[in-house]
Amino acid sequence: MPTTTPAPAASTTSSSNGSAPPPRYRALLQRRLRRLLLGEGFVAILIVVFVLAMAPFARGLLSERNMLNVLSNFWPLAIIVIGQTFVLVLAGIDLAQTAIINLTNTVGALLVARALEPTLFQNSALWNTVIGPQGGPLGGGWPGILLALLIVVLIGALLGTLNGLAIARLKMPPFMVTLGTMLLFSAVAVWLTRSENVTNLPDDYVAIGQAQVWGALTVPAIIAVVLGVVAHYLLGRTPFGGWLYAAGTNREAAIISGVPYKRVVVTAYALSGVFATVGGLLYSARLEAGRPTLADDLLLDVIGAAVIGGVSIFGGKGSVLGAALGALFFVVLSNSLNLLNLPFTVVFIVKGLVIVAAALLDVARTRLLGGRR
Amino acid sequence: MIRYRTWGAATAALALLTALTACGTTGGSAGSTTAVDEDISVEVGADLSGKRICFGFSGSETEFWAAGIKSIGDSLTAANATVIEHNSNEDPNRQLEQVRDCITQGVDGIIVIPEDGSSANTIIKEANDADIPIGIFNRPPASEDGAAIISVADNRDVAAQTVQYLADEATKLGRKVQPLIMVGNLSDQNAVQRRNGFMDVIEANPDLFLAPIEVQTNWDAATGQANLQAAMQANPNVDVLFTSSDFLFPQIQAVLEPLGKWKPVGQEGHVIMGGLDGDNRACGLIETGYVDATGVQDLFSEASALLDALGTAIENGETDPDDTIVDPGFALTASNFADRSQDMWGCVITPPAS
Repeated sequence: MPTTTPAPAASTTSSSNGSAPPPRYRALLQRRLRRLLLGEGFVAILIVVFVLAMAPFARGLLSERNMLNVLSNFWPLAIIVIGQTFVLVLAGIDLAQTAIINLTNTVGALLVARALEPTLFQNSALWNTVIGPQGGPLGGGWPGILLALLIVVLIGALLGTLNGLAIARLKMPPFMVTLGTMLLFSAVAVWLTRSENVTNLPDDYVAIGQAQVWGALTVPAIIAVVLGVVAHYLLGRTPFGGWLYAAGTNREAAIISGVPYKRVVVTAYALSGVFATVGGLLYSARLEAGRPTLADDLLLDVIGAAVIGGVSIFGGKGSVLGAALGALFFVVLSNSLNLLNLPFTVVFIVKGLVIVAAALLDVARTRLLGGRR
Repeated sequence: MIRYRTWGAATAALALLTALTACGTTGGSAGSTTAVDEDISVEVGADLSGKRICFGFSGSETEFWAAGIKSIGDSLTAANATVIEHNSNEDPNRQLEQVRDCITQGVDGIIVIPEDGSSANTIIKEANDADIPIGIFNRPPASEDGAAIISVADNRDVAAQTVQYLADEATKLGRKVQPLIMVGNLSDQNAVQRRNGFMDVIEANPDLFLAPIEVQTNWDAATGQANLQAAMQANPNVDVLFTSSDFLFPQIQAVLEPLGKWKPVGQEGHVIMGGLDGDNRACGLIETGYVDATGVQDLFSEASALLDALGTAIENGETDPDDTIVDPGFALTASNFADRSQDMWGCVITPPAS
């Protein structure tokens, strides 16, 4: 709705005031302010204001230790939110991300476990074939661990691809497809392990989620930044990114314009699966266990963070930087609520309100921005 | 106009959020999910004035946990400690983050009821790295790595005592009987040990018991009920039933009653039944004759021993106390009910709302 700005009246008023900037600069200033408030800048400002407002009440919020905690919580979530961004930009949604995390982190742990208790796992379908009392087949060192990671990421990509194929080829609604596969993939994770957690993970595997390289620079940080840069390049600098935005803004027009819609959808969901897998592996390594229910409570955080970060649930808008900032806001919010020692019910109420506020903000942004990203 | 309405609504939502957040700051150590009015504090043995204690738990879905959480919270408050309570709502990742946030606040001690044994080890490591003494209540870590004060019942022995009573009752039937166990989440050492105690008695009496039926519950009422229903469909002639936790008795009743097998002792169709925990429901069911026995965990003794050891460690400046306190427990049965029911916490206190 840019045409609603009452520019001429404003110009007249400012001309009569000697200290006010000239109309041209004022309009420029207004445009920049508007871009800032409607883009990633708004989230960045929101984070800074929120932290400054909370600092006097939340003990230790600005301490070095807490900053490290926040970052440790931030990297895996940011990766998952960035993965969700691909499908949200496409006007889709991937509810199955949490189930992909549940399944892939469990399989990864089973592959590299050093030992498995027969009482717990002998009823697993994989017992005495892939796994046994001696653990998984790939836990013997870095080559095995890297192979396990590769296998798990491929599984994540495959599961995402299945979602994409159902949506693109069978023209099924993304919400229903991913809701169904969310149940399916989670059930498979529970079935594979009979709902048991997989412990006895090798130190090298655990280090992926915990190892500190230098100061705040950790292995998860490096992985998240690399994936973030790759995602930013894909979305902002490649034809694939352009196709995503085009298909998310107006699917029919995009198809008529030559966008390979089905391929774009499948690729977006595959990427969502891969990013979810990597984020889940970091969570799993941090907890030093594979868990078939690891991400059961994560979905609202992911969607909420993406929307706060300016990724529109209506499609066609959003950026990797915005998604990452949205994740940071959610982590900071969670952290500060913990430091305020609030009851968990209040924490959930506040988080719920934030998500509702983010959705309202999304509606407002969509109206203000029109077709712009 | 629509735009302004949208912004107005968004602003209102954010204002409400801010108000709620601000309200929370005045709440101090609020956060208990229990609602019982009576004080069920136990002796701590140390004055914790000026000390900040982080108390994290994973949920309060059973009477045992609800009572344990309230008792520990009341006791810490009675010892003049400032309590920081965190409920992770059965999410181990969130529990880890909450403990880390407690450490950030420079707490003097940590008490955790972990989600399971493996996450207990991860949390103990965090506390050890931060040089803060930590106590683990009733759910032991999966391994002995790390230094912590662990207060736990001898689940294997308590379960064995209870199942032995069921075996004695079954002997009176004068035939081989079909036993069934409702197994908890085997990631939890308590569930593993209770199953082991059950199996000890089954294996010691090969002439009495047929091969046991194992029903998985994963400590979830709905899962337990569905799986028991399927098991009873396939094996209607169950004679002896042992549930690894008392909180599942309502689900057991829901399955047995339509089959005509929810009958008190002495009536045709009675299934010889036992549980473990010692909660209020089990107390009532033993009194009315539907349940034959339950293994009792001495909740108050476990809480008191843990708080005493942790309080002493804090007073002495110990940062990594390492000790395991074992509650021997006992079996409350239909036979000793008159003498020992007052020793079972579930017969004494009003159950806290969970």
